[in-house]
Formats: sequence, structure tokens, C-alpha cells
Amino acid sequence: MDGLALYFRLVRLAVQARMQYRADFLAGVIGVIVMNAVTVSLISIMVSRFRNLNGWTMWEMVFLYCLWLLGHSLYSFFFWHIRALEEYLVEGTFDQFLMRPASPFILFLGREVQYLGVADLTFATLGLSLAYRNLHLQWSGTQWLFFGLAIIAGTLIETSLALMFACISFWTGRSRRASQLLMRLNVMVQYYPVDIFGYLFRVIVTGLIPVAFMNYYPTLMLLGKLDPQSPWRWLGYISPLVALTLVIITSVIWHLALRRYSSSGG
Amino acid sequence: MKIFWSFARQTFQFIAAYRFDFFMEFVLAVVRMYGIYWVWRILYTQRPGAFGVTLEQMTTYGVMGMALEMFIWSRPQWYMANQIKSGAIDTDLMKPLDFHLYMLARSVGEMFIGVGVLGLPALLIAYIFLGVQFPPNVAAGLLFVLSLILGFLLLFHLNFLLGSLAVVAMDIRHISWAYFSVVRFLGGQIVPLWLFPPFVAAIAEVLPFKGTYYIPISIYIGRLTGMDAIRALGFQIVWLVVLVLLSRLLWSAAHRRLVVQGG
Repeated sequence: MDGLALYFRLVRLAVQARMQYRADFLAGVIGVIVMNAVTVSLISIMVSRFRNLNGWTMWEMVFLYCLWLLGHSLYSFFFWHIRALEEYLVEGTFDQFLMRPASPFILFLGREVQYLGVADLTFATLGLSLAYRNLHLQWSGTQWLFFGLAIIAGTLIETSLALMFACISFWTGRSRRASQLLMRLNVMVQYYPVDIFGYLFRVIVTGLIPVAFMNYYPTLMLLGKLDPQSPWRWLGYISPLVALTLVIITSVIWHLALRRYSSSGG
Repeated sequence: MKIFWSFARQTFQFIAAYRFDFFMEFVLAVVRMYGIYWVWRILYTQRPGAFGVTLEQMTTYGVMGMALEMFIWSRPQWYMANQIKSGAIDTDLMKPLDFHLYMLARSVGEMFIGVGVLGLPALLIAYIFLGVQFPPNVAAGLLFVLSLILGFLLLFHLNFLLGSLAVVAMDIRHISWAYFSVVRFLGGQIVPLWLFPPFVAAIAEVLPFKGTYYIPISIYIGRLTGMDAIRALGFQIVWLVVLVLLSRLLWSAAHRRLVVQGG
């Protein structure tokens, strides 16, 4: 637990450092809100005009997007700088994490915060509340619990994938483009329900780069859209497991990468 | 001829240095085209009448929206922001070439690289795998090319104006997020203007953004024809003149400010 305490102390410092730039913060918040508002407007124009998209109504799509955004906002608040790992390595500033008497992992993760996650969080909460009301949902305690787990799973899935891609730079020296590919693929998947795409695409976002577990599968479960006939209906329940698996794989990769870094540096 | 070859060699070296970047961009472009293709296909099977155009026209619109990004994209704003931030803008201002024209020349060069390496291969994929149609006739094809060039110039000047803001704002990264979203939305890159709710459509109709994607693609798919197409080109030209004047004005104001800063 010492590690966790240290982590939150680092985060507090990072927030204080960031809050020095008020104007930048304001411009950023406006930018993020406009971006999300445009996304939701596009979705609602498309869907309201055609009533639904492959059985998904407008508010279901808003729910789908905002569930993703909620998990993403936590990721982007705490872990956005994972993508900058490459710069730490290239500039040699990564060494600062290795020289201090604490886990380099905790030190690296606590290095910075991206306060713009706050704007995403606000937008996602608002969108989800509106969707909850307009879809006339009445969740049981278990469903609320699953909802909470799904958000954490979403954050962990995105964080693990980002770290995994960033670790590429331990071997190649460059990872920013691969990370960008991941991010943009990810963002695209979250606008639309995965079931409108072809088979190959569904396999990729389910099995290979499992971003569909961030929002699509949990949404099926939470909105009662699981097909009782389908042999794949269990996919709706396993997001937390997927997240756990990814975290384990990523931690193995991280340790391999660190060993490699130490040996090449020495 | 010698200049041409040296330019071609430079281009090749540039691409060789960034081949992974270009490859990634290409993959992303294909993914985006594929995505929008399926969205329109499925919406169409649900309510065939609601588009006002045929399925082929609609999917062509969607895929072209993604493909044309690489034909009209220019990035003077990042260059300007970087140069202003680092102070290296001095060396640009000392060049015996008007800064606005210099930015345009750079953007045209970048555009040719982008079209050759990304745009044309992406279009090829669109024609072969995504059932993208050709323009209904030669006249429409020619008008489309003209309109596309105007679209490139329009977007360049919008970006140039954004870049000029860097003189006062220093960091334009966050403003540009909002800006890109607005261009995509009001420009009709993803959803064409005729599907907008009347209130939003009325706003989008008068702003210059629709000259970037909406007009060229509508001409391409044969939605805007005859006099309507000519009028749309006129709209692009009028806004282009306005934006050129605005750019000159804003940049000369920004320039004065820069010189004062430099002492």
C-alpha cells in the first residue's frame, strides 16, 4: 500500500503543477467539450434521421459513447503521459525513475496528470444520466455494481494497451506512431456499435486489440441487448476479466522491458 | 528539369525517412473509409428513402469524405506555431519571399506528397474494395477537380488564420481541437449538409467550411449539377477572396506585433 500512497502524493503534486496555467486549462476544457459535442451531434443527426442504427436508438448510442468516454476520461486524466514514454527514453529522462528508492512504475505513472480528463468526465456523466433517463432504465444493485466494474475495466483496458504499445519504444526507440494508431482505432470503434462492421473487424477489436470490451460488450449487458440465443452472449459479462488479463500481460512486458533498458544502459 | 528531379529526390528521401508514419496514416485512412462505408450501408438498408440519394451515392460520399482529407489537408498552422514559439520565425521573415506565399508553397508541396503517397493509394482501395463510383459524367469530373482545388485553398487559408493566432495565443493546440471538430462537422466531411436539421443546416450553408468537403463531394456524386454546381463554385471563390484578404490583414497585424516583440 506504500506504493499507492506514494502514487497519490505524486498525483497531487502533478495537479498543483498543472494548475499554474489557468488560461491553458480553460482553452483545453472548451476544446474538449466542443469536440465531444460535435461527436454526439453527428451521432444523433445520423441516428435520429434513420430512427436507429442496426437496432441501436439514439440514446443507446449516446450511452455507448459516454460509457467509453467515462473509462477513457479516467485513463486520460491519470495515464495520458504513457504515450510520451518514448520521449523519456530518447531524452534520457527515464533514468530519474530508476535512481529513486521506489518502484519505477509508480514514479513514472505519477509523473504527470492530464487535467483535460475532467472535461471528458463531466461530459460523459451528463450524457450517461440523460441516456439513463431517456431509456427509462431501472437498474438493480447488481447492475450498478457491474456498471462500476465496467468503467474501471474500461480504464484498465485502455491503460494496459497504451502501456503495451508504449513499451515498443524500449526495443525500437520509437512508439508514438503505434500509440497514435491505437488511439485513433480506439476512438473510431467507440462511435459506432461494433455489430455494424464486418466479421474480421469484430474479431480484431474483440480478440486482438480488445477495445470492444471498453464499452460495446458491457453496454449490451447493461441495456439488456444481449441475444439470449447467441452462443457468444457471455462476452457481455467478461470485461473485468479481460481487463485483469491485460493488466497481467502488460506487467510482464513492462518487467521484460525494464530489464532490457537496464542492460542496454549499463 | 533539374529542379524537378531534385524535388522528386527530396520527396523520396522524405518519405523514406518517415515510412512508418506514412504506413500508419495509410492504415488509419483505410480503417476510417471502411467504418463510414458500413455505417451508411446499414442506415440505408433500414430506411432507403431517407437519404435523398442512392445507396451508391451515399457510400461514395462517405468514403470520399475520408479519402479527400489527404487531398486538401495542409498544416501551415503547426509550422507557424512552432516557429513563433521558438523564435525561428525571424529567419522565415528574412527570406526574400512573402511569408503568406511561402506558407502556401510549403503546403502545396506537402499536399503533393500526401496525395501521391496516401491519397491516390487510398482512392485505389476505395474504388476496388468499397464500390466507390466515378462521377456521372466528364463535366462533373472537371468541376469536381476545380472545386477540390478551391477546397484546398479554402482550408489552407482557414488554417493560416488559425496559425496567425499563435502570435497572440502562443499555444494553439487546444483551440485547434475545437477548430478541427468544427471544420469536420460544418464542412460535411462525415454527414452531408442535406441531412442536417434545418436550423444547423442554415448556419452551415453560409459559412465557408462547406467549401472544403461538402461542395466538392456533392459535385462528385452528382448531387450538385448544372447551375447549382456553378453557383457552389462561385460560393467557394467568394469565400476564398474574403479569406485571402483576411489572412493578409491578420498576418500584417501579427507581423507588426512580432517585430515589436523582437525589439
